[in-house]
Amino acid sequence: MKPEMPAKAAKPAGAGNAVKIWRIVLGAAGAALAGYGLLGLPTQLGPPQLLGLLVWMAVAVLLHDGVIVPVSTAAGGGLTRLGSGLRPASAAVLRGALMTGAVVTAIAGILLKAQSVARNTSALEGDYAARLLWFWVVLAGLAAVLVYGIERAGPGRGEREQKTRP
Amino acid sequence: MEKLTNALAARFASPTRSTRLSVVLGRWLGLSFTICFLTGLFSHGLQEPPSWMFFPTSPVWIYQLTQGIHVTTGIAAIPLLLAKLWSVYPELLKWPPVKSVAHGLERASIALFVASSLLQLTTGLINTYKWYPWPFPFRQTHYWLAWVIWGSLLLHIAVKLPLIIEHWRARSGTGAGAGSPAPVTDDGGAPPEAGRWSRRAFLAAVGVTTGAVVLTTAGQSFPWLDPLNLFAPRKMGTGPQSVPVNRTAADAKVAELAGAKDWTLTVSHQDTRRSLSLSELQALPQYEHELPIACVEGWSQTARWRGVRIRDLVAAVGAPSSSALRVTSLEPEGAYRTMVMPAAYAQDERTLVALELNGQTLDLDHGYPARIIAPGRPGVLQTKWLHTMEVL
Repeated sequence: MKPEMPAKAAKPAGAGNAVKIWRIVLGAAGAALAGYGLLGLPTQLGPPQLLGLLVWMAVAVLLHDGVIVPVSTAAGGGLTRLGSGLRPASAAVLRGALMTGAVVTAIAGILLKAQSVARNTSALEGDYAARLLWFWVVLAGLAAVLVYGIERAGPGRGEREQKTRP
Repeated sequence: MEKLTNALAARFASPTRSTRLSVVLGRWLGLSFTICFLTGLFSHGLQEPPSWMFFPTSPVWIYQLTQGIHVTTGIAAIPLLLAKLWSVYPELLKWPPVKSVAHGLERASIALFVASSLLQLTTGLINTYKWYPWPFPFRQTHYWLAWVIWGSLLLHIAVKLPLIIEHWRARSGTGAGAGSPAPVTDDGGAPPEAGRWSRRAFLAAVGVTTGAVVLTTAGQSFPWLDPLNLFAPRKMGTGPQSVPVNRTAADAKVAELAGAKDWTLTVSHQDTRRSLSLSELQALPQYEHELPIACVEGWSQTARWRGVRIRDLVAAVGAPSSSALRVTSLEPEGAYRTMVMPAAYAQDERTLVALELNGQTLDLDHGYPARIIAPGRPGVLQTKWLHTMEVL
């Protein structure tokens, strides 16, 4: 929670006239540029293509808001329980390693799908599945070494401070 | 309904989220989108030049650099966008969704920004794999959406500017200042609960993730990162004559025409016309240059090219050296069958009708019997399987 502002607090940083002018300029420029792009689309895309574009945009948002965030939130909840016995730095290493692995896997997953359907024979020649496996092995190894090192070391300065705080 | 959205918001609540976190991620994302936008405009300008377009030919790797940065930064923006959207996710669940006309417009602009950004990064990535599963043309959509995204980004900054200014710097005493070792979280609250992470740890993880996707893909554009290239669609040094191929002779359906014994390259200027066979081209003064071939999909490869200077061919038909050219390929069809070469390239001494690559006769997939290679141009404009060159 943010602390309540005192009654006679100094003027917020974002309340001056200069900020108002900047907001107007940026807002007008942004609206103009976005409008330019929106008006340009139908000059090169026909109605079926525009409809296809809208569908893809909607699916992208639904996939993100309806699947990726809820799943990652559920995974985060599980990690909170899993990491509750670890030092904060170890828990952060665990979460960070899984975040890195998940994003790299997502990118490599699309690459593997493209490899299975693309017609071009001069690209996508790597053994990406094996590379992904090795990536996870190295990532897991690094994370394990870091967690082991953190847990073996004494409590960090931050943790000592935490314990002395009321 | 409000109870339901509040319950959902509580479910997705995380002490790691804060305005400061969103501002920091917004800075990284804004910078990466701006780099993508500017380098993308440069690439688009080279391919569809407006009347005022400039055509730098030095350094020869300029397009290799800008397009490598474009694609690499776009890939880096994927984890940044995901993290930024995660940091503001509870905003999506606020009820009522629209409080006023201004609020409705603000939310609409954010919806446009989010939808366009997700689509742009996803299709941009998949396009580098030469896979096109969508029902719209990539290049045109990518171009116009770039304007939409950058415009709606500016609009979003305008709306949030007071908050951005307020949280631009970590406030003193909150433990979020640079170099502060304090365990307290962003807004001066309690330390992270057991098993959770602080804002700093989250940002560090986003940084590591972004670094991981960059390091494992950027080797297709930057030679010094080639050893780490695990997940890019191209690998340097692969393909015939150690150079990757984008469009093969089989794809272009030119194998028969390109292999014909009576092949000639016709160079014309007004009423002057010269048809040069391969042996006649080989008999002209030959020049060799190290030039990169850099593709719009981000991959590039520097190689040794040997052949006839374009400006010598322009002079051979009596045209002024400051002439532009229209070059036609043997390809029976294709978006890049015909290419216009501005005078800046035609008069550059390093622009060649290449007959050899890395010390060998051009491979058929690299454009045998003759192809264009010019410094600082997108690969799609380095026309292969030459047929005619008309001085404009």
